[in-house]
Parts: sequence; C-alpha cells; structure tokens
Amino acid sequence: MKFLPYILKHLRRNWIRTTSTVLAMAICIFLICTLRTFIEAVNYNLKSANASRLVSRNAVSLVFNLPIAYKQRIENVQGVKSVFALNWFGGVYQDFKNFFPNMAVEAEPFLGMYPEYILPEDQRQAWLQDMRGCIVGRKTMERFGWKIGDTFQLESFIPPYRIGKPFEFVIRGVYDSDEKRFPGTDTTAMYFHWKYLNESTNRRTGVGTYTILINDPRQAGEVSKRIDAVFENSDSQTHTETEAAFRASFISMAGNLALLLNGIGTAVAFTILLVTANTMSMAVRERRNEIAVLKTLGFSSALVMTLILAEALALGVLGGAVGIFFSQGMIKALPSLPFIGDAVRGFPDLGLSPQVAGLGFGVALFLGLAAGFIPAFLAYRARITEMLRQV
Amino acid sequence: MTQAATFATTTAVDVQQVRKVYQRDSQMIPVLEGINLKVPEGEFVALMGPSGSGKTTLLNLIAGIDRPTSGNIFVAGTNLAELSEAQLARWRSRNVGFIFQFYNLIPVLSGLENVELPLLLTSLSKRERRERALTALKVVGLADRASHYPRQLSGGQEQRVAIARAIVTDPKVLVADEPTGDLDAKSAEEILALMETLNREFKKTIVMVTHDPRAARKAHTEKHLDKGVLTS
Repeated sequence: MKFLPYILKHLRRNWIRTTSTVLAMAICIFLICTLRTFIEAVNYNLKSANASRLVSRNAVSLVFNLPIAYKQRIENVQGVKSVFALNWFGGVYQDFKNFFPNMAVEAEPFLGMYPEYILPEDQRQAWLQDMRGCIVGRKTMERFGWKIGDTFQLESFIPPYRIGKPFEFVIRGVYDSDEKRFPGTDTTAMYFHWKYLNESTNRRTGVGTYTILINDPRQAGEVSKRIDAVFENSDSQTHTETEAAFRASFISMAGNLALLLNGIGTAVAFTILLVTANTMSMAVRERRNEIAVLKTLGFSSALVMTLILAEALALGVLGGAVGIFFSQGMIKALPSLPFIGDAVRGFPDLGLSPQVAGLGFGVALFLGLAAGFIPAFLAYRARITEMLRQV
Repeated sequence: MTQAATFATTTAVDVQQVRKVYQRDSQMIPVLEGINLKVPEGEFVALMGPSGSGKTTLLNLIAGIDRPTSGNIFVAGTNLAELSEAQLARWRSRNVGFIFQFYNLIPVLSGLENVELPLLLTSLSKRERRERALTALKVVGLADRASHYPRQLSGGQEQRVAIARAIVTDPKVLVADEPTGDLDAKSAEEILALMETLNREFKKTIVMVTHDPRAARKAHTEKHLDKGVLTS
C-alpha cells in the first residue's frame, strides 16, 4: 500500500497518454461487455425452451408453410400428447420501431402447453370467446400504456398475410410469468387466434410451425423421427426438433452470431493489448534512469518489476471500470435506439449481469498485466550501470 | 559475511586485488587492474583521474551496484562478492548512500517524497518516514522546500535534496560521483561544504569521484587512477 501513491503519481505524469490508454482499454471492455450481454440475452432466450415441446417446420425452409391437414396426422403419432398451429405474423404496430413479436396460435392447446404464461381465468375465457381478441405480454402492455379492452391494428410485412388492410385486435388478456420458475420467458409477445388469420386470408396461409407436446421428454428424438417419417414421401416434408434446438437454429439464421461477436471482442482485446504494451514500454523506456536510481537505492529487481506491473494493472482497473460503466449505460439505452433497439427489444430483461461485468473486469486486468509484463521483465533484468550509462 | 570478524573495524572500505573487465561483443576491455584501496572509517577520499581511467567503475563497485571480475570488496564489514543480487540490494539500502552527478531525483515526487523513497524499504510507519525525511532535509538546509518538485528547485537545491536522500537511512558510507560536476561554482562550494559537514559532524565515510581539484582539496586524501591503475 505504501507504494500506491508512487504508482499513481507515475500514472499522472503523462496524463494524456494515461487517459488515452485507459480510454482505449475502456472501449475494449465496453465492447466485450456489450457484445457478451447480447450473446447472453440470446442464450437466455433459449432457457425458456421446454424439453417436452417439439417444433415441426417445413424441411426446406421456415419460409415455407406446412399444410393444415398435417395437424391431425401429427396428433396420431405415438408419443404425441397435443399439437397446435403457430404462424409468425410479422405485424407492425404503426411503425417498425414499435416492433414486438406477434403470432397467430390455436389458443386452447397453446395455453395448455405453456404453463409459463400466467393468465387470469376470466381473461382466458374472454380471449377464447373473441375471434379478434388477443393476449399481450406485460412488458408490451406497459411499453405502449395499453389496457384490457383497448384495440389496436397490426399490418404484416409478410406477403400472404397482407390483405389490403390492417388486422384489428382487441386486448382480452395480459399474460405474465414467474421468472423464478420459468427463467427466460418472454413477456413482450402478443398472441391472437390462428383461425382469425386463416379466415381473413381466405384459408390460404397454411401453418408456419406445429408446436407439439410429447408424453416423455426422453423420447424427444424418437418422436421427432416418427413425425418426420410420416411426411417423408409428401410434397412438404417436415423437420422436427426440440423447441430449444428450433430457437437456436432460428437465431443462427443470422450466421454464427456468438462466433462473430466473440471474434470481434477478441480482435479488439488483442489490438488494445498491443496498444497498452506499447504505452507501457514507452513509459518504462522513459524511466530507465529512475529504475536505475530505485535499484541503486536498494529496491530489489523483483520490487521494481512489481511496481511496473502494478502500474499496468492500475491502467487495467481504470479501463475496466470505465468500460463496464459505459457498457451498463449503453445496454440500458439500447432498446430505445433506432434500428438496434428493434433487434434487442425482443430480449427479455436485457442488462449487464455481474458475471459479464466480472468477465470484462478480468479481461481488463489480464490486458494490463500482459501489457506490463515484458517491460517489467526487462526492467527486472536491466543492470544499474547499463541503465545509468544509457541516460 | 564470514570474513567480517577478521575485517579491521576501522576500515570502512577495503578493495583487494580488484579487476574489472567489460565485454563488448567479442572484445574484452579491461577497466580496472589489480586495485587495492583501504578507506578508514570517517575518511573523506577523492578519487581523481582522467576520463576513462575507471573512477566511476571503482565507485560503482564500492557502492555495490556492479560486481568485479575478480578480487574482493569489503564495505562496512561485508564482503560484497558473497551477496546475492537481492541481498546486495538490501545491503545497499542500509549501508550506502549514492550521490549522482545529475541528482537523479524522481520528477513526479516532491522533495520530501524523494528523500522518503529509500525509507519505503523499511518497516517505519508513514509518520516516522516523514519525520526522518524532514530531518534529512533540515540537515541539508532545505526543510522549507520539502513540498517543492525537482523542476521548482535550482541545480544546487536538487543536489542537496539528493544528498538528503543519500543520508536519510543513515548509511555508513557515502559515495558521490562528481557531485559538483553539473553545478556553478557557488552551488558547488555549498555542496562541498555540506559534504564536509557530513564527514566531520556526522562521521560519514565519503568516497567521491571528481575532476575538480578544488573539490578534491576538500577531501582528506586524494587517490589517482590512470588507465585502471591506482597511481597514488
């Protein structure tokens, strides 16, 4: 501790260089924390997937729908408990920036299959009895200040669902979730009757995906194979997988997101490592005379090395703290930003977790230590007389 | 350490058959050849000689910041050749004070903090360190400049702070490498007077390298080096 003022005074010596190094490191930590949070949010979304639920889609692509008649045939497959049709509606509320997920579902089996959605009985009944009715997640209700009984319109950007006018909906229920029992449950989505969609489009929509509840989650692989075997010789073959696998593949349509984001973070971290190492080398080179003096006064080589490493570590601590601070601010602000906000708004509870903050801080400390190691080691090895001679 | 018992207690520095050779690429450059030198305790010795004669090298060896190629050096009863690098560093912090030609103060530290620096290696409390550093500054007559930074001091004042730093741990031996070499005549005179005081009143053994005959005259003894050999 008694050496701390000495270390801090050296950091203040060339404050422009110190500030720019701290900022460079802060940007690196900011990026790592922000990108990592994004990946965590994607992964968190997968947590809510239930092992007893399968999703069956068109084997060619999610873009192509499946025939309505498949429902009954899937229900007859051994191990299947219930099935409902789901179509991603892609409805836009007033403007693209107001995006929230909205889907057409077969209400009764849907509610039966998703115990994570908590809906009061009277609201459930009200929705089931109203063809134009819908249920909306708590977060979206709060976002737009809606209340039960309100009406709103959505217009889909998906061609088969464009009928020349917007779809009109009446809010019949607000669903919530128990985050402790069902972590990762999205309360931003809106669900309406699949029948309403089907009839409004003159029964030409088909089914986007079938969600299937099975009797035994351990049989998920077997049941999936059985379902796909049923449609093996059909025009529209199916691809059935667990809900978690489906969501993961849905996300991976944008490429290997995690790999891309981790790659960016690593590249930035490596660049900052070089920048910081250069800064530390310059700082130590400028102080060869002082290092010689310290050693002459009786500072051991190990102590001199420790002081330089501590200085580099202090840069890491400062850079890490600043980076985490700004990352937290950015993550909070992300949902309200144009374009990016649309992409992240679907993630529930987007926030900087202690784990991600810890990772960012750890990376900052590592960068500081790694950057300071070579100059510190050179100072450790340098002989007093050689350093004094070079001055 | 084992030879400490046989070491004459009145001898502060005993250089025995010391040879120093530098290697530059494949070339061997002898700098000191068979040096023998005894400096009694409380002595003020001036090492003189032309540039390249090996004065500074000998001083560095006595201060324990360099090692001889062969021979032994006893300082304050310790055979420096027997000490490891870490032991030598610890020994320097307790037994020798070094005064550089160009003061070599740490620019980001105040005068007081510069003087306090060697005391960071001791177990003294912060208050004790400050008290001792202030006392050392009083000895050199700069207590009123304790909070000044090196850039705010004149050359002479900087050198006095450097002397305070050298004596703050109360070492037995002071080594000075041309302490007046970068000063004007008046400041040089003040520094030499201060060194005389340290020698006379505080009984410090001083070994000083100098080119300046006036500085050498302040010493009790003059030793001359030429081409790595002590000539007188």
